[in-house]
Amino acid sequence: MKLRTSEYFITEVAHSLRRNTWMSLASVGTVAVSLFVLGVFLILVLNMNRMASMLESQVQISVYLEDSVSDVDRRGLEHDIRNLQGIAHVDYVSRDEAKARLAERLGDQKYLLDALGDTNPLPDSFEVTVTQPDMVETAAKAIGEFPGIESTRYGQDVVQHLFDITRLMRIFGVALMLLLAAATVFIIANTIRLTVYARRKEVAIMKYVGATDWFIRWPFLLEGIVLGFVGGILAALALRSFYAAMAAKIYSTLAFFPLMPQYPFMNYVTLALLLAGMAIGATGSTVSLKRFLKV
Amino acid sequence: MIKMRNVSKIYPNGTIALDHVNVHIRKGEFVFIVGASGAGKSSFIKLLFREELPTSGELVVNGQDVVHMEHDQVPYLRRGLGVIFQDYRLLPDKTVYENVAFAMQVIEAPRRFMQRSVNTVLDIVGLRDKYRSFPSQLSGGEQQRVAIARAIVNNPAIVIADEPTGNLDPETSWDIMDIFQRINKSGTTIVMATHDKSIVDTMQRRVIAIENGHIVRDEAQGVYGYEA
Repeated sequence: MKLRTSEYFITEVAHSLRRNTWMSLASVGTVAVSLFVLGVFLILVLNMNRMASMLESQVQISVYLEDSVSDVDRRGLEHDIRNLQGIAHVDYVSRDEAKARLAERLGDQKYLLDALGDTNPLPDSFEVTVTQPDMVETAAKAIGEFPGIESTRYGQDVVQHLFDITRLMRIFGVALMLLLAAATVFIIANTIRLTVYARRKEVAIMKYVGATDWFIRWPFLLEGIVLGFVGGILAALALRSFYAAMAAKIYSTLAFFPLMPQYPFMNYVTLALLLAGMAIGATGSTVSLKRFLKV
Repeated sequence: MIKMRNVSKIYPNGTIALDHVNVHIRKGEFVFIVGASGAGKSSFIKLLFREELPTSGELVVNGQDVVHMEHDQVPYLRRGLGVIFQDYRLLPDKTVYENVAFAMQVIEAPRRFMQRSVNTVLDIVGLRDKYRSFPSQLSGGEQQRVAIARAIVNNPAIVIADEPTGNLDPETSWDIMDIFQRINKSGTTIVMATHDKSIVDTMQRRVIAIENGHIVRDEAQGVYGYEA
């Protein structure tokens, strides 16, 4: 495209945005709101995904031993488990240690343990971590086969729930996203239709003097893209402050919550919103041009 | 320049606008297309710049096969033609200069030629000193002159005019015809549909008369032939 032509296109777009101020503002506003909601979902889903996979990678297998296991057998078991495939660590937790940990975790409610007196209902156990999150299940099964093992437990079901919720949110998010995108495309298509109408004389003359189809289409397409882009900027700005505020709030109450750090995460989200805005704008224009611009 | 062979144009509603028309127009000719309203004049003109496609027949304009042309080649056909209408079709929010320059802009003509070319054609139509006026500030004759300037600024081989003097008084019409004569003298082919009997009779140019979709007369130095 020649420089002179780009200049011409830019003036045309500026001109027509000015001509349809209110419609342009309405389009930008709709794009911004839609993209903001889309962004919120994106942030939510990405954070939940991260949380789920972090939890998953931290999953430990608790291996409870039968009371009858002797110290020698126990060392043998520890050795056998360590030799299984995909095992990262095996830590022995004696029943006394387990009780002490429980007391610590109960904190203010430690008195509950006092009722037990000197008896200790807790078994000896191993805490086993695996090298790959997806090995948890097989490892737990294999360990369960060894003699002297009362039971094995791991948090797989919690993780599974979390993943289920994330998947649901993703489906819901995508559905909502499509709906909003369709509405936004419609609004932009309408705005471009007004522009096409306002410029129909020019378009007719352009055709008579031999302008190519694309030369005629570009300013309209560009206008849609600009509307989407500006909407994207607004949405990104709003979302960035929203996320900053949310992060501050969460960190002050739930310090250990594994929230995505703001940077570079929000830069990617911003980029995604801008691209989505432009894509929506271009689609809206195209829809309108297909229907109303006979070139 | 223009070759029509057995060209028919039938509109979807069944109207037969042109019925097996054969015409050959050579380079440099000045041709009037005459006939009553609805006789097929407008269809004839519209076929030339591919506003309409013939229903059947062969049509070659400026060396290009109009009938079998790909859609994306149409702009290049039109770049070789200058089209002028009865209602001028100027852009009201552009000045005289901008209206003419627009025709160069949209075909991405090199910028360095633009000013010179626009000034040259404004000289030809005698509107150089009004280049900053807007169409609303001009008379009908002046507006048509701007339209002519726009039509010839890209040096077309053929100028096609549909009732160019239809909205003008006789004196102004003659000014416009004067410009067309000058353009024709420089070698440009001119095809003009008109109702104006006195112009056709005075000019003594080739006249093609259309009636009910047929060419009823084609004379090298014709007259209008009947009372319009």
